[in-house]
Amino acid sequence: MMRWQPLGQIFRVGDQSLGEGIVSHAQSPQALVMGDRVRIYFSTRRQSTDGKFLSTIRYAEFDKTFAAPLQVATHEVIAPGALGTFDEHGIFPMNMLRVGDEIYAYTSGWSRRKSVDVDMQIGLAISHDGGVHFERAGPGPILGPSLHEPCMVGDPFVLQAHAQFHMWYIFGTGWQHYDGSTQPERIYKIAHALSDDGINWRKLNDGQAIIPSVLGDDECQALPTVLRIGARYHMVFCYRYASDFRTNPARGYRLGYAHSTDLVHWTRDDAALGLPLSTDGWDSSMQCYPHLFAWDTDVYLLYNGNHFGRDGFGLARLEGIDE
Amino acid sequence: MVQWQWEKRGLVFDVQALPNRPEWFDAFAQAPNAIVLNDRVRVYFCCRPKADAHGMFVSYGAYVDFDRRDLTRIIGMAEQPIMPLGGLGMFDEFGTYPISTIKDGDDVYAYFGGWTRGASVPFNVSIGVAKSRDGGVQFEKLGPGPVLGHALDEPFVVTSPKIRKYGDTWWLIYTAGTRWFMHEGRAEIVYKLRAAHSPDGLNWTRLGYNLLPDKLGPDEAQACGDVLFHNGAYHMFYCYREATNFRHAKDRTYRIGYARSTDMLHWERDDSKAGIDISPEGWDSDMVAYPHVFALDGEIYMLYLGNEVGRAGFGLAQLKGSLA
Repeated sequence: MMRWQPLGQIFRVGDQSLGEGIVSHAQSPQALVMGDRVRIYFSTRRQSTDGKFLSTIRYAEFDKTFAAPLQVATHEVIAPGALGTFDEHGIFPMNMLRVGDEIYAYTSGWSRRKSVDVDMQIGLAISHDGGVHFERAGPGPILGPSLHEPCMVGDPFVLQAHAQFHMWYIFGTGWQHYDGSTQPERIYKIAHALSDDGINWRKLNDGQAIIPSVLGDDECQALPTVLRIGARYHMVFCYRYASDFRTNPARGYRLGYAHSTDLVHWTRDDAALGLPLSTDGWDSSMQCYPHLFAWDTDVYLLYNGNHFGRDGFGLARLEGIDE
Repeated sequence: MVQWQWEKRGLVFDVQALPNRPEWFDAFAQAPNAIVLNDRVRVYFCCRPKADAHGMFVSYGAYVDFDRRDLTRIIGMAEQPIMPLGGLGMFDEFGTYPISTIKDGDDVYAYFGGWTRGASVPFNVSIGVAKSRDGGVQFEKLGPGPVLGHALDEPFVVTSPKIRKYGDTWWLIYTAGTRWFMHEGRAEIVYKLRAAHSPDGLNWTRLGYNLLPDKLGPDEAQACGDVLFHNGAYHMFYCYREATNFRHAKDRTYRIGYARSTDMLHWERDDSKAGIDISPEGWDSDMVAYPHVFALDGEIYMLYLGNEVGRAGFGLAQLKGSLA
């Protein structure tokens, strides 16, 4: 059982300008530790001309007090995708990894569809200036659908371990109509891919979900994040029902947890995360989009709360793990 | 020096001449592709029902059987599409076109372009694979997703597959989109011929470069790289066009080109050798497109499309001379 000290909602949308046209949301916070400060990237939203929203990347920097941000980016950290590309309609989320002097950003690119809302594929962007700006490694994705992972390949999280790059990500199993839903809803699961260089990836087991579902076959699992603490790897993710999840708190996102010693076999044990919904406040009806990171000797968990992170993101610090 | 010419045999598959076509086969017989069976040559093609209320088409695969001894005589037809369209949100929800088939032992494999529809551009395409265990009548997809999707430098519209197997190596010659752009209010696409190889037909390694130099400039669109190994060399016939104003301007639309290789990796383009061009009048007077070349009983044939990319059906031509 993990014990966490909740530090509250450390970033609130609206406290600082995020640049012209930004209307709401600070979703899927992702950390890049930079010595005595941490830069937290997130996806915020701009309204496009057709009234829909485009996710775009910003960041905020904090010191260890996690009081008001030291600095907030108002610029386009990565330019929008070109016409017809996989990330034309936004990036959400974007995961950072230091590789030599460069910073690799693994992006979840969004592209709108006709018969269903959207599709996703995973891209790679690289920064040569310490993470202020990112350039795409190419206009296309580095990981997309395959024979048994037909759609919605996104939510990358990359870790280097045992001389390899490991990616945990999600894939869609399909879209379904549900009673009470006005639009088709997607179902997705967590999977694992490997790479020698961080660019060319192979799926470990095409179409194989690595985390068992607790809400039935239609459980949606998203945004895996993995950190080694001692001899054990810890994975936090979020999960929900496939339908009626947006406004019904009983069916919305919760944080899930699994542990492993070999990065391949995972034991799911959500209760062992020890971070339930708060009784009131910013994460009282939903917890989602977790991100684990270590900073010196401390371990932190970033995540979003109610309304999928419409108003900001929060933080908890690990106090200890009881075996 | 002209080494060969294609002698045209006419519109051997004339859609309008077929009575009582089913609802899924209103018009078009596109991207013909043959397998040779005992007594017949089975030619797969792609056809369409009528457009929907928004003017949008879907595309199905089917086949027609010709008498092996007389390639103008039809002796059979598919009674239903060879495979269904994909489900909601899948890569092939709105079409399976083009289709390339290959016999491998007792099985027949079909590689196909699966069509989805985008919000900002009209379509996107990835390549799927299906397998037939009944000699090529019905095909079962090997999975709900694509076998060759998009990649870092092949960002969209990966389509026009041509499947081949030489020795133990499988080859896909295909088209990859390089650029969408708006022209007169319409999204237009540029695509180039590319190739990938595989030990099993499922796990593919992309060559990662354009197979051919551009003849019409960077916006030339190239499709249907159909390869025949003959006389110790690989002969590729393909089609190419301008990226804009190609729908109604006959001098900007598809023509058939030719390139030669000895290793499937490096190609010498020389369209002057193609040996086939538009006719002065008739069904192939505006364009010639989507060639498929195959050997049969000592002769070499080409199936190809004419005006409006095969709306009327497909034609046949026979090689005169020697592919060297």
